[in-house]
Amino acid sequence: MPNAILDPTGATTSKAAKAAAPRAPRPASLKGARVGLLINTKQNAAPFLHEVGRLLVENYGVASLTERTKLNFAMPEADDVIKEMAAQSDVIVTGVGDCGSCSAAAAADGVVFEAAGIPAAVIVTESFRATTEAMAELRGAPGFRYATTQHPVAVLGEDQVKERAARVVSDVVALLTDKDA
Amino acid sequence: MTEPVRGAVADEIVAAAPEAPDPDEALRAIEYCYEHGWSDGLPLVPVSKPYLDQFLATTSRDPDEIIGSLEQVGRDCTIYLAAVNAAMAGCKPEYFPVVLAAFDALMRERAARGGGFQSTSGPAPLIVVNGPIRHELEFNTAGGAFGDGFRPNATIPRAIGLIVRNAFGIRQHVLGQATQGVPGRWSICIAENEEESPWEPLAANAGQPGGVSAVSATLTRTCEFIDNRATPVAEEVLRDFADTIGRLGPQIFPQTPVALVLCPEHAQQFAGAGYSKADVQNWLIEHSGRTAGEMRRAGKGHVLRFGASKDAEPVSDEHFHRVLSEPRQIPVIVAGAKNAGISMVVRIFGEWSGVATPVGEKP
Repeated sequence: MPNAILDPTGATTSKAAKAAAPRAPRPASLKGARVGLLINTKQNAAPFLHEVGRLLVENYGVASLTERTKLNFAMPEADDVIKEMAAQSDVIVTGVGDCGSCSAAAAADGVVFEAAGIPAAVIVTESFRATTEAMAELRGAPGFRYATTQHPVAVLGEDQVKERAARVVSDVVALLTDKDA
Repeated sequence: MTEPVRGAVADEIVAAAPEAPDPDEALRAIEYCYEHGWSDGLPLVPVSKPYLDQFLATTSRDPDEIIGSLEQVGRDCTIYLAAVNAAMAGCKPEYFPVVLAAFDALMRERAARGGGFQSTSGPAPLIVVNGPIRHELEFNTAGGAFGDGFRPNATIPRAIGLIVRNAFGIRQHVLGQATQGVPGRWSICIAENEEESPWEPLAANAGQPGGVSAVSATLTRTCEFIDNRATPVAEEVLRDFADTIGRLGPQIFPQTPVALVLCPEHAQQFAGAGYSKADVQNWLIEHSGRTAGEMRRAGKGHVLRFGASKDAEPVSDEHFHRVLSEPRQIPVIVAGAKNAGISMVVRIFGEWSGVATPVGEKP
């Protein structure tokens, strides 16, 4: 009997890998909703999410906006920040994932909010679909749905950011309500 | 051992040497590893349990001990997995304590734990080995410090790359999102040329004095050479270094750390002019950077605004922006042959921990 060739990948996982993560139930609309914006600090992420928030208030009846800035764009957000945002928000919008680690981290945050019962719209640029989906799957949410905008975002001027935000808003609403906006 | 088979007499020689390894079986084993997605692109050494046991015998640590985790992807590396990957990378069993020390030193880096391996920059580890282990394991400590041809220098960084790929599950186009990556990403392992260095070894700057065997590591974004071998004036050579250190391309944050891999000729020239390592570092802190005007004209004006309050007055175009502020941002290593004034500026990704790991001890 010859020796087996050993597998170098291992089967051990730390606590971050979880079994099937639930998806939050959706509201019928965003009318009266409290929206939490989780800004990932990447260039133009703040004006992008501010404009998305403004349009949600203006066009979709959102009642209030709160915002938090991520401590470290490359990593999933700390549990206490997630809990605090989940307590004061009905839905979450986060982004803009435009790099390897921050897109994956945005997906991880989205999965955690969903599991906490808070619908989340994760926005990444089209270049980072693969890593967003891979991270969501690792976190127990294969087939995780998210919104995309064209790459890049960081180089856009003020008006271009607003235009880009306007284009993604209907996808954000559809993600948060499971209805076409 | 039999001679390799050559030409038309092959059949006779093979028939006469039945104990020679079977290349077809070896090929099947190598292809098996490719088919499972374990390879970095080059052939792997297929690892059996008896071979793995030789690696595990070099340490008293429990094979199930977790030696590093990437929390964000939910993966751990154990002594066992590190050993399988080290063997696959082509390490000899006796290299394994150095692999463990290198991995420990690398995982001290905030960037390595915090998404660096997933980054669009695709950073490469710079591994530096000090102490008697360099000679015991026959590291290259002389010419071609960044180059090929020496088994420990080549296979130890490859082992780290395989750990990241296999134990942590970071693969390009999925969780690895390098835009272009770094040439020679998993191949940089320098054994410092302590014998021709005028100064203390890097490990002594990193908490391991007394000539012990220790490994330091950081993540880097590339290397840029300084070829300067025609002036007797040390400060002119330093100015050449400062020009490269301060250039605009790598500037994305206000501080831009670098490792200096000095050839013995440059190191001895500086020492001969009375410079200690700290003097070299302080000279470069003072002189490396660009003016705010140069930065603004190259689209790097935002770097000047990091950490500044919104109401702060913008600095003038004449303001000289220094890219370094403390010696720990400029680790100095002496490596290579004493045969030319050719050194390397190595771009650090994030910030070096400043802590070396002794070889063969539980950290």
